[in-house]
Amino acid sequence: MSIRAIRIAAAVAFVALAPGALAQPQGNADAGSKKASMCQGCHGVEGYRIAYPAVYAVPRLGGQHPQYIVAALQAYKRGERPYATMRSIAASLSDQDMADLAAYYGQGAQRSAMAK
Amino acid sequence: MNRKFRIAAIVALAAFGYAGVAAAGNPAQGREKSKPCAACHGDTGMSSAADFPRLAGQHADYLERALREYKSGVRKNPVMAGQVTSLTPADMADLAAFYASQQGLTTRR
Repeated sequence: MSIRAIRIAAAVAFVALAPGALAQPQGNADAGSKKASMCQGCHGVEGYRIAYPAVYAVPRLGGQHPQYIVAALQAYKRGERPYATMRSIAASLSDQDMADLAAYYGQGAQRSAMAK
Repeated sequence: MNRKFRIAAIVALAAFGYAGVAAAGNPAQGREKSKPCAACHGDTGMSSAADFPRLAGQHADYLERALREYKSGVRKNPVMAGQVTSLTPADMADLAAFYASQQGLTTRR
């Protein structure tokens, strides 16, 4: 194979693969609702507080930006957020799981707030 | 002060101490202090940019803890690490109280 042919092949491969490597899976809210059972034990209970390592309310997720939810889950998976329970849960999720859960929780902001 | 009241006061104090609850923030003060936050998080915490979380309607104690974690460095985010350096514990409580008082996020059941 000539140098020129290798160059062309490399360019084609780069163009073909680069977008795929960057693309995030599309989230599906219905699929997310079926995967959310382990989340809902805490995040689905209004005012639910964890007791360890300190007592504070688990965050409300309804209406959060899906892209931000995925970023938060990825940060837990990388260990950039300290809460141990969420680290282990995030570590068990695939990119598709994260996208689906994010799509599910992304729905549900208060309508009055959306108008602002 | 009667005896029952004293006992109730001690129990309440113990409960608050256990919860690690700081002095409750002042939402009006928090609104004033939130001006620098608005560029990313929106005037009331309903950010329109997907990279930045919505804060409106979030639980105050969760928001306060997140700010403290950014400041201590256990929660890592380069943008927020820079923003929290000048915040006092009272600032954090006020900001948390302000965003918690706004309408936005809900508990999805």
